[in-house]
Amino acid sequence: MYTRKKNIFVRMSENVNVQKALGVILPVLLGIVIFVLWQTQVIHKIFHVDVFTLPLPTRIVSIMIDNISDILINTKATVFAAAIGLLIGSVIGYVIAWVADRWKGFGSGGLIIVTAFNAIPIVALAPVMTNWTRDVSPDASVRSMVSKILVVMIVSIASMSINAYRGLTELKPYAMDMMTSYAAKRREVFWKLQFPNSVPYIFTALRVSAPNSVISAIVAEYFAEYIIGVGRQIRENIVLAQYSTAWAYILTACIIGIVFYVVLMIVEAIILKHRK
Amino acid sequence: MEERMNSKDVQIHINHVGMTFKDNKGNDMEALKDINLDIKKGEFISLLGPSGCGKTTLLRIIADLLKPTKGSVRIDGMMPREIRMQQKFGIVFQSPVLLDWRTVRKNIELPLEIMHYDAQRLPERSAEMLKLVGLEEFANHYPKQLSGGMQQRVGIARALGIEPELLLMDEPFSALDEFTKEKLHVDMLDIWEKTNKTIIFVTHNIQEAVFLSNRICVLSPHPGRLSAVVDVDLPKKRTLDIRDTLHFSELVAKVRNSFEGGSL
Repeated sequence: MYTRKKNIFVRMSENVNVQKALGVILPVLLGIVIFVLWQTQVIHKIFHVDVFTLPLPTRIVSIMIDNISDILINTKATVFAAAIGLLIGSVIGYVIAWVADRWKGFGSGGLIIVTAFNAIPIVALAPVMTNWTRDVSPDASVRSMVSKILVVMIVSIASMSINAYRGLTELKPYAMDMMTSYAAKRREVFWKLQFPNSVPYIFTALRVSAPNSVISAIVAEYFAEYIIGVGRQIRENIVLAQYSTAWAYILTACIIGIVFYVVLMIVEAIILKHRK
Repeated sequence: MEERMNSKDVQIHINHVGMTFKDNKGNDMEALKDINLDIKKGEFISLLGPSGCGKTTLLRIIADLLKPTKGSVRIDGMMPREIRMQQKFGIVFQSPVLLDWRTVRKNIELPLEIMHYDAQRLPERSAEMLKLVGLEEFANHYPKQLSGGMQQRVGIARALGIEPELLLMDEPFSALDEFTKEKLHVDMLDIWEKTNKTIIFVTHNIQEAVFLSNRICVLSPHPGRLSAVVDVDLPKKRTLDIRDTLHFSELVAKVRNSFEGGSL
């Protein structure tokens, strides 16, 4: 029988290994293209900007290297606010989901209120939190940290409570009947069925809220009293027209966001290894 | 139609059981009407009928997953709820309901953990059950790595692991292909012989019911009612080729003709 030989590109694109490799190669290529266009000032010509407001990549990197100790101090403050806020917010979100499942009457109504909270923009939230935390501590650095954590926390609650609620309630058909037939207690149903079932949903929530927590911490820093953090440095340096330094901190912010996401992906891959 | 027998042999006594649901317009929907049935210890009994005949509803009432609106069920003289609280029901559902995050062995141990079974003897007990269903080599596999037939066998092993008084099976093989189904039919008869459990088996497949059971309760729909009880006088030890005998065909025909309103 005569079969038409497929063209080499079609055959290659059907190969699984080629597909996997392309998933890495294509984004890297795009990055290189952008870098080249940026470094050769093609981007500057297209968008009519000068090298002062949009410094060249090599210049940004050299500023980062020169200021590495300052950058690390500010990174630490931002990462701390983002991580702690994310942790506390996620735990609160999970507890809300648990309550919504445990007392069904509260359920959907409570979750709608939580979602509504999520719609408040961070720029509106941050000054309110700074004002609220005025009397928390005589130390401005502590006050600011608490207000930043509160902002991140509120932003993290909604995505966790909605996803965790699904994780607690979207069970396999008959799973609840099965537990009932074993005369399982409510505590056993939770720990042996509902909680493990909700774990993939926890990761779904974190995929959204982990990068969000970094952005929220940075925006909250704009409004914070105490001058520290990656976000605050971006603002301060733009105000002082030190665009190269500002861009060094913008790049730092990107790196923090990516690191948060990658760490999450690795943890997820380990924990959910057998579920795929 | 009533099916009564000498009271001392009876394990399950179903007495005037009726079940009425409300449909979404608020009208009454009679799923079961006046079911009377006695089941002996060690029987393999099938509840057979088309969809809507209430066979699953009746099984769920026996298992105390539903409360009947009329009548009562007694198992060894006790309420179904008491039997359930003593963890004496082994149920196999339409889907295997395995927990994806537990290995096959851990899935079988789940009800035993809930029963506070002696932790030291757990591995021994689950290994024994795996052997019974022929899955010893798959103890440490995860459910997603198994075929549908193997998953359902894990479900059967899990149900039997708790030494149930009663094994209740709700169309357990309906989602499987013919070849897997045949294999599991033979396995099921083997398990029944080895364990001597009372088995209540819900199905809509006449051949399956005749091949497996020693008695078939034929249910007819609208409202769900017991329209006939057919004794299957085939030898207890059966092989697949028994289905090619004339007697098997006659039994299938007899069951088919026993549905109210003629053949289906």
